[in-house]
Amino acid sequence: MTMSGLHRTHALSWAFLLGCSGLAPLAASAHDMKMDMGSGSALGASAAFDAHGRLWLVSARGEHVVLQHAADPGTPLGTPVVVNAKPEAVYATGENRPKIVFGPAGEVYVQWTEKPAAGWVGDVRFARSSDGGKTFAAPITVNHDTALATRGFDSLAVAGNGDVVSAWIDGRDSVAAKAAGKPYAGFALYYTRSTDGGRSFAPERKLMDHSCECCRTTLAQLPDGGIATFFRGIYGENIRDHAYAVLPAGSHPAHTQRATFNQWQVAACPDHGPGLAIDAHGVRHAVWYEAKGGPTIWYGQLDPGHVPKHLLRIGGPGASHADVAVHGNTVWLAWNQVDPQGYALMLRRSDDGGVHFAAPRNIATSTRAAGSPQLLLRGAHAYAAWNTADGFRLIDTEAH
Amino acid sequence: MRRWIFLALLTLAIPALAQTPMLQPLAASDIPALLKPPAHGTRIIAIWALDCAYCEANMQTLAKVVEAQPDRYQLVTVATDRYALHAQITARLTTMHMNAYPARAYAEASPEHLNFLLNPQWGGETPRTELIRADGSRLGISGELTPAQLRRIR
Repeated sequence: MTMSGLHRTHALSWAFLLGCSGLAPLAASAHDMKMDMGSGSALGASAAFDAHGRLWLVSARGEHVVLQHAADPGTPLGTPVVVNAKPEAVYATGENRPKIVFGPAGEVYVQWTEKPAAGWVGDVRFARSSDGGKTFAAPITVNHDTALATRGFDSLAVAGNGDVVSAWIDGRDSVAAKAAGKPYAGFALYYTRSTDGGRSFAPERKLMDHSCECCRTTLAQLPDGGIATFFRGIYGENIRDHAYAVLPAGSHPAHTQRATFNQWQVAACPDHGPGLAIDAHGVRHAVWYEAKGGPTIWYGQLDPGHVPKHLLRIGGPGASHADVAVHGNTVWLAWNQVDPQGYALMLRRSDDGGVHFAAPRNIATSTRAAGSPQLLLRGAHAYAAWNTADGFRLIDTEAH
Repeated sequence: MRRWIFLALLTLAIPALAQTPMLQPLAASDIPALLKPPAHGTRIIAIWALDCAYCEANMQTLAKVVEAQPDRYQLVTVATDRYALHAQITARLTTMHMNAYPARAYAEASPEHLNFLLNPQWGGETPRTELIRADGSRLGISGELTPAQLRRIR
């Protein structure tokens, strides 16, 4: 696909500077603005709408996670608030990025991975604000285990009962096996939850041995308020399919099941995790990447233990980092598509619960680097958040 | 006297510099030259990433191939991490004993565009080995090379 002639004015999109030194208020407007953030900046950022429809953005700026918000999608983002007062190595490259979710009483929860430059180490870090994001308590480390091991590709969600749920890829079992001279494929998926509004987290539990090492994990809320996870695992001899599980509270056992069966066998780091959105009927809408027969992005409805239903190949060569959102019977899919000229943000929409999708639409382009897109719901309306080297954009999916 | 000391130090430094090529950024405009068939033999592009759990072993395997037949193969390492991380990339190359080879790192802040330009049939998984032969033929392999794949290279 070429992108010539596809540049458009997006009525509800804007860009602003990221990655600059200093934390002065950043320029923004209600239209696309091209502002240089420099090719050296990490593009890992997350956006979310809160219960009042306000847009929030967390991003990494040097050794700080910063938070901004806007009253509605058409107004500029405000002055950045520093989440971690004490500098630390914020991991915001590849599929790592700071996360933001909201508690039932308006708490603002931010999570990221701290990864020192040297060595295979890292910690999952978390900070909470109880004053609407004006200030944050000192960050805490979510993982109780302090063994020197890599941790990252974290995900964060709030359950229906207000529990804060966190999951991540953890290398501790690989380190231990190596020290014992035993083989161990990949890393492992660990999770925990906070029942006190993010003030503390229970000791983490292992969900599954042999996760993929470097693909983002994802969490989604079930109709009953529970939280499910979908992530890439390693099956047999380096088969990189995906696992699904509902994350149990307390000491209840988890039931993890293989949920994709593409049989992509490779001793490699795809750096390409899946997406999951669960509708009011419990249908598990998912997107994922595999390359058994060449690069492919799939949509499907998970049927754990079996091949997903309504499988649809939505992207081939040059397609990457898909996301999915659902509201009622409407399902949106977004992904990056590259060609020699640069990046296009692609969108497909289904109005029958993911059984059929309209043709792909190009809703934004960038000639410079672009991060993974995120689909955000504001009521029944879907927006795409897209962080590019020219700035952050919020794109109204219905305006195209 | 100072001049002699300077010249002596320079003489000592030149071989060291020659053995430790500086990490260079790889921009889109550099890729046609990187993919251009060599005058003879095969150019091996060893693509890796800081996060990659399989890349060190793969690169060292490729280094052995090159060391066994230096007249037939040339090796270039390419990190898909952005060049802004050059200090970490250079340190890792040194740790992996791969710092004697020409080394590049992506000049763009996300890798997908350059991945596509290197090979549109590659989705970005690392390690990735791209072979560019003098006769214009190419071979791309994702993942740590298996013995069978290694035989195809040789």
